[in-house]
Amino acid sequence: MSFDVIFNQFMSGIARGALLFLVASGLSLTFGVLRVLNFAHGSLYMLGAFISYSLWKYLLIPVVGFYVAAVLAALIMGGVGILIEFFLLRRLYSRGWPEQLLATYAIVLIITDIVKWCWGGEFLSIPRPKPFAGAVFLFGFPFPSYNFFIIILGLALVIFLWWLVYKTRLGDIIRAAAHDREMVSALGIPIPWLFTWIFMLGSMIAGLSGAASAPYGAIALGMDIDIIVECFAVVVIGGMGSLPGTLLGSFIVGQVYSFGIMYKPELALAFIFIVMAVVLIIRPWGIFGKPER
Amino acid sequence: MEQHRVEKQASWLKWKWWLILFLIAFFIAPFILTEFYLTILCEALVMSLLALSFNLLFGYMGQLSFGQAAFYGLGGYTVALLVTKLHFNFWLSMIAGVLVAGLIGLIIGYFCVRLRGIYFSILTLAFGQLLFFIIYKWHNFTGGDDGIQGVFPPEYLKSPTAYYYFILIVFLLSAFVLWRLVHSPFGQIMKGMRENSVRTEFLGIHIARYQLITFVIAAALAGLAGAIWVPFYRSVAPFYLMWIKSGEPVMAAILGGPSTFYGPILGMFIMTFFHAWVLAFTHFWPVIMGTLILIVIFLLPGGILGFAQEKLRGRRSKGT
Repeated sequence: MSFDVIFNQFMSGIARGALLFLVASGLSLTFGVLRVLNFAHGSLYMLGAFISYSLWKYLLIPVVGFYVAAVLAALIMGGVGILIEFFLLRRLYSRGWPEQLLATYAIVLIITDIVKWCWGGEFLSIPRPKPFAGAVFLFGFPFPSYNFFIIILGLALVIFLWWLVYKTRLGDIIRAAAHDREMVSALGIPIPWLFTWIFMLGSMIAGLSGAASAPYGAIALGMDIDIIVECFAVVVIGGMGSLPGTLLGSFIVGQVYSFGIMYKPELALAFIFIVMAVVLIIRPWGIFGKPER
Repeated sequence: MEQHRVEKQASWLKWKWWLILFLIAFFIAPFILTEFYLTILCEALVMSLLALSFNLLFGYMGQLSFGQAAFYGLGGYTVALLVTKLHFNFWLSMIAGVLVAGLIGLIIGYFCVRLRGIYFSILTLAFGQLLFFIIYKWHNFTGGDDGIQGVFPPEYLKSPTAYYYFILIVFLLSAFVLWRLVHSPFGQIMKGMRENSVRTEFLGIHIARYQLITFVIAAALAGLAGAIWVPFYRSVAPFYLMWIKSGEPVMAAILGGPSTFYGPILGMFIMTFFHAWVLAFTHFWPVIMGTLILIVIFLLPGGILGFAQEKLRGRRSKGT
């Protein structure tokens, strides 16, 4: 195996890792603050992809149509997130985690059928948008330039989240709330408002990443569970609720997937799980996570 | 201790007539029901085994598994492969189905029992999807998404009525064994692990080992459910292992009441018959199931039997 093949595969892995980071970071953020594991995060991602498809198709905006559709899809998903948090999750914070998990599972089922009802079961796709439509040659191998768009988007999100969590007042509150919710509440910060805000942000990220995934692969039913299982692998490897952990986990899972698929396509997912199992034996709470209390 | 046993006997006696009534109803069911409803009843019994296996982990051990259908599918696939490819004896295939599910349960459980709460759910879900994915992709061995057709039971079990009695007997025996298990010292340890794992550990109980044993028993029971279902349905498909299928026993337990032994069975019966009824006029079953889950969570915490128990207890304590 020559260097150029390895490099090409490595770059594909980076792109896949970037997409995984886009989705997993929202999952990790909501879990970190709300302590609710959102099964429906993958469904919000899927819904974002389908909505961006329809917006792209029916708005028919020239040149920047895809980008406008992606931003609008993210905003719509933010609204959906507010509704879910306000009407469902808010009533369940005082209950046990099994009920919270099941409620988000119920949302998965409902969104699946909404998508089936509105868009049917076919595969849809959006052609790659303009400056990233072609391919670039890396050491003589064609590499879709859209992958660079995913990587840039992933990096932008890393920087944005880092800035948000570590450099703003809201970030101070987020970190404090993840550490001790009651203390934050006692300081006069309205926790319900914070939770709605964070869930909306997580849903927006899910919607945006769904839209970004549309030209990357196909849009189809079942993309929700495919991505959420890989995201679970990411957060279990990296550590739940940790930003650097999610970044590292995405990188690892992306690379393992990319090289696994080159070696044996049927077993790509199995390789990811082997890595996950190894991490679980050595550090059950993930590389950057904290031991359970 | 002596008093405890008397109390238990009393509760057993109190429910005795109900149990006998249900038993009679189950045994005469084939003479009353049409073949369509007999099929649904078979499905309800088989799925109740899956629900019991789930609730052994959830209701008694306090761990929510989101991958129980994987073992159900494994049991089914083992039987289907042995019967169609190797023309194996039916009864030996059954046993093999249970053993394979138990063995894979041992491997997966080894990792899962290290985790608690949400992490346990994630890991069981992930492993379940992994098994689904492998069976889905391994086309020349498992038939991929076509599944395996033509899995026939032996001649004397071919009629729906005969197979119904077979399923019923397996169900009753498994439920009885499970009932004895959860009411044994082993069951007390399981409950202890659920209520306070630290204190249970201080009693000198090796938590991980007991959880692993429970996990394997639950996996084997789910495998048994799959193994007896597939020859009845004559085919098996990869979606048997999918997480949507794993969600069904979760839902049944929540609906019926996870804190009771019979709750998951009641929940699964309601769900299976409701499902059959709904399918007559719509294919959008998931959205109905999702809405049902939300209704139960918000309006009926504790499930039907849990709710009833609470009410009865409340009335009794008011009476004394």
